[in-house]
Formats: sequence, structure tokens, C-alpha cells
Amino acid sequence: MIEVTIQLLGFIAAAILIVVGIGGMLFLDNLIKKIIAFTLLSDGVNLLLVALAYREGGIVPILLPGMSISDFTSRAILVFPAGIVLTNIVIGVSTTAILVALVIMLYRRYGTLKASVILKGERR
Amino acid sequence: MIESISNLWSIPLLVIIPMLTAIIVNFLYDKAIKPIAISSAIVILIISIISPYGYHWFCGHPALNPETLTFTFNPNIFGYKLSLEFIFGPLQHIMIFISSLILLFCVILSTIGLTKHQGPYIALLFLLFMSSAIVIMVNDLYHLWIAVEIGSLIVVGVAAASGTSISHKAALKYGLFSAISGAGLAVSLALILGLTGFANISDAIMYLKQFNIGEMSTVLYIAFGFFVLSWMYAGGLAPIHPLKSEVYGASYPHATTLLQAQSKLMLVAIGIIMLRLFGMLPFVKEVMIFLSVITMMIGVIMALIQIDFRWIIAYLIISHSGFVTLGIGLGTYEGLIGGIFQAVNDIIYMTILLLCCEALFYFGGKTSTKEAYGIAKKSPFIATATILGAIAASGIPPFNGFQSEIILIQACLKEGFPEIAVLILMVSVTTFIALLRGIYRIFLKPPELQSYDDSNVDLPKVLIIGIIIFIVLSIIIGIYPDIVLRFIIPVVKEVLSI
Repeated sequence: MIEVTIQLLGFIAAAILIVVGIGGMLFLDNLIKKIIAFTLLSDGVNLLLVALAYREGGIVPILLPGMSISDFTSRAILVFPAGIVLTNIVIGVSTTAILVALVIMLYRRYGTLKASVILKGERR
Repeated sequence: MIESISNLWSIPLLVIIPMLTAIIVNFLYDKAIKPIAISSAIVILIISIISPYGYHWFCGHPALNPETLTFTFNPNIFGYKLSLEFIFGPLQHIMIFISSLILLFCVILSTIGLTKHQGPYIALLFLLFMSSAIVIMVNDLYHLWIAVEIGSLIVVGVAAASGTSISHKAALKYGLFSAISGAGLAVSLALILGLTGFANISDAIMYLKQFNIGEMSTVLYIAFGFFVLSWMYAGGLAPIHPLKSEVYGASYPHATTLLQAQSKLMLVAIGIIMLRLFGMLPFVKEVMIFLSVITMMIGVIMALIQIDFRWIIAYLIISHSGFVTLGIGLGTYEGLIGGIFQAVNDIIYMTILLLCCEALFYFGGKTSTKEAYGIAKKSPFIATATILGAIAASGIPPFNGFQSEIILIQACLKEGFPEIAVLILMVSVTTFIALLRGIYRIFLKPPELQSYDDSNVDLPKVLIIGIIIFIVLSIIIGIYPDIVLRFIIPVVKEVLSI
């Protein structure tokens, strides 16, 4: 039987967020809702990485003065996924900002937030 | 104790100089932008030419020897490199050189052509180059993901910069999809990291080769799936080609030269990484070949039905991306050489066509085959250059396209895919037909007397020089392919461990 750990719950929650996020981005018609769905997707990826780095009773991965290397490596959570999460937060914010800026410009032009209206094919 | 390491000086410069220039020009007045931007582009070009080969351990983790408790950067001690690293080798040399040459012309043309918001626009061009340089130099999944994400955001910005409703829509569509694919690449990175414990691509490959992948194959397939998604959107492969082709068609033609160069670099870099990481799994190469074939076909068919010369070129860029991915997907010695060589050639001849398209903007800004007439009479040079570009793109000797396409055809025949070899020939012929249709209507068709403006137009000298340089490059590579192949062959041997 599979043991239910915090890490496993983290993976499940991450999977739900990712699926809901992708579904929202693909199937919702409102552009702002699409962007909100993207933030869910981004959070899901972050949670996946955090769950990956999780260690039962782990400590923050900072080597403090007086701490032995062997003690540090046996107790600290994985440092690399934590770094990736930090980067993903920055990328998520940048992407959201750019998407919102584009949506504002298109809203001013078309007066609606419906993707089905705005992104309709245009004669070239 | 840490051993000394010999980081290559040029690698950080190729990243930092474009980044710093982007920051600086963003805040400058118009008159100060031009000298700084052009100087930076020249410096980048010089660095790409004179840089020796080597690596840069970018905030890497040195390996810990558990017995002596010493840190070391020597990869031979434990077998693994354990680090985030950038590599500058022959492949990076040729790819970055061509990209930086295109960057230089792009920057000069945008300082001439753009009257408003020059600073932010040129900043985007430098960042676009930076993301391309990182993607091709990187040897770890972390920086690969960051570069692909940054590259996507910059592509959105460059597309939106032309300011039309079509460009805004193209940018939004590409931005929304890149958000999904970028997150997918992050998941893929997490899966490979969780599976192997390594972010360094060479380390992860070594780990996967050393251990039985039987139980890991499901996770690897999921990671491969997300990689394929990123590959498709970064390079504009079918079935999501409309997103990228709209970006190409909606951007300024000079910016499209850099956009298509970035796409080709991403296709090559991500393709080789996919081949190395997942090549041992069944059906991986088949998936890559299938995507390539449908991209080649759909791209060229869509090009045939376009009425705007910019959009004809946009779809041909997509179609010819299929040549690049086909070679990489074959995964053989000839296939890889042909694929990478095609990427280099494709960048060159598409640049000729796009610069000619940029010239059309000086003749009234019309690129539609229904609106522009008789340009050949106004500028025989641009008409001739466009025809030469079309010949190069169609794989006709003595131009460069011929050399890479013949290698790809040989690779297909050798692997037992004669039908794909025939398809390459058909795509080449259809490319010529699609371009000739546009060329005839825009350049050669007699003008309607009422609407014809016979006034002479002075094209910027730098545009003419750029077109001449790329035509000369195309012919030289077509006659002496070894000039480029000597950069590609060592890389292919390394990838295939020959």
C-alpha cells in the first residue's frame, strides 16, 4: 500500500493545479480567466518542485557557521529545486505582466475580453 | 580546498553585453541609442569571431570528495560534472557568429527605420540575441529552461512592437501558448532532476546510460512529451505552426530575420538535447521525424496559398524548419550534419529574402501581391537579390541550400526513407513555385498605370550591404561547404560518441 506522505500530497495537489491550469487556459473564453489559469499552472509547477525538494524534518539549505558538511548534507532540503522555484516565480510574474498588457491593448481596440471574438481570424 | 578552474572569458561577455546594452538603450535618448547599440553589436560580433573554445562553470556546484572532504571541479574524479555550465565549441562558434551578424544589421536597420520607441525595441533585439546565445551554449536544463522562457517573452515583445492589431493578436496567442509550454518544460526539468538527480545535461545522460531505464521509462516519456511541446513552440513546428508563422508575418521583416535565427538555434539546441537524453527510448526518433515531415508539408502548402510576400516567407521558414528537425530526428551521422547545416543555410537565405522584404517597405510599405507592382523597374537590385534568395531557398546550386538538402536526401536514403527524400525534393520545388508566384506579382508584373508611382526611392546603404553580404555567404558556402561543415562535424561526432 502506498504511504500517504506530505510529499505525495504535494505531488497530487501539484498535478491537480497543473491540469486545472492547462484546462482553464485552453477552454476558458475570457482572456483574464485564461491568465488566472496560467497563474494556477505556474503555482502547480512550483508546488511540484517544492514537493520534489521536500525532506522530512529538513532545514533551510544554508550552511551556517559551525555546521559540519555531513550534518548539512544529511538534513538540508534539496537546494536546486528551491532555486528553480524562485526563478519560476519571477518568470511567472513577467509572463503575467506581458499577457495582461497585451490584453489591455486588445480590450481597448475591440471592447471585449472574449478570446473567441478578439482572436478570430482576420483577412490579411 | 577548491581546485582552480579555467573559465572562458567570452561566454559571460556574450550574455552580459547584450543584457547590459538592452538595459542601457532602454533609458537613453534617441541620438545616444544608435552609437551605443551599434558599438555593442560590433563588439558581440568580434567576440563571436575571436573567442577560443572552452567552458564556463556558471555558479556551479563543485563535486565533494567524501573521503577527503575537498571540493573539486575536475570532472574526471567522479565521472560527473555536477554543475550548471555553458560551453563554447565549434557549433556555438558558427551559430553565434551568424546570429551576431544578423543582430548587427537588425540594430542598424531599426535605428534607420524606426522613429518611435527605438530604445525598448532595440533592447528587445539584444535580449532576443542573448536568449539564442544562451540556448546554444547551455549544457544544463536549468539555463535551457530560463533561456527558452526569456526567448518566448521577447518574441512576444518583438511581435507586439510592430503595433498592428494582427501583431498584438499574434503576440497574445504566442504568449498564452508559451506560458503552457514553458511550464511544461519546467515540469520536464523537475522530472529529469527527480529521476537522475542532475540538472547538468551531460551528467543526466551519463546517469541514464549507466542505469537500467526500464522502470524509469514512463517518467522519461512524460518528460519527453513536455520537451516535444517546447520544441514545437520554440521552433514553430506543426501542428502549432500558425502561432509562430503569425509572429513571423506580423513582425517587422528585419526583426523576423533575428526571430527565425533564434528559432533555428532553439530547434538545433533542444533537438540535440532531446536526442541525447531520450534517444534510447523507442519511438522517440519516429515522433521527431513525423513532426518534421508534417511541418515541411503543411508549411509549404500554406505558403502556396498566401497573398502577402511576408506571409509566404513566414510559412516557408516554418516549412524549412522541418528540414532541420528531420536531420536531427534521423539521429544518424549524415542526418545530424544535414540538419545542423540546413539550420545555418536556412538562416542565411531566409535573411536574404527578409531583407529584400524590408526593402519593399521603402517602396510604399506594401508587401501584398495584390497591392505591390513593378518593383523590379524601380529597383532591379532588390528584384535580382530576391530571385537569388529564392533560388538559394529552393536548393538550386551553386547556392548553400543545395548542399544541406543533398546531405539530408542522402541521409534519408541511407536510413531507408526514400519517400521522405522525395518529399524533400517536392518541398524544394514547391518553395520555388511559392516564391516565384510572389516575386512575379510584386517585382515583375507590369504596374497598373493609374496607381503606379514612378518616383525613385533611395534604399539605406546598410540594407544593400547586408543583402550583398548574405548572398555572397550563400554562394561561398554553396561552393565550399567545408567552410561550415568543419564546425559541424566535430559536434556531430561528439553527440554520437564516434
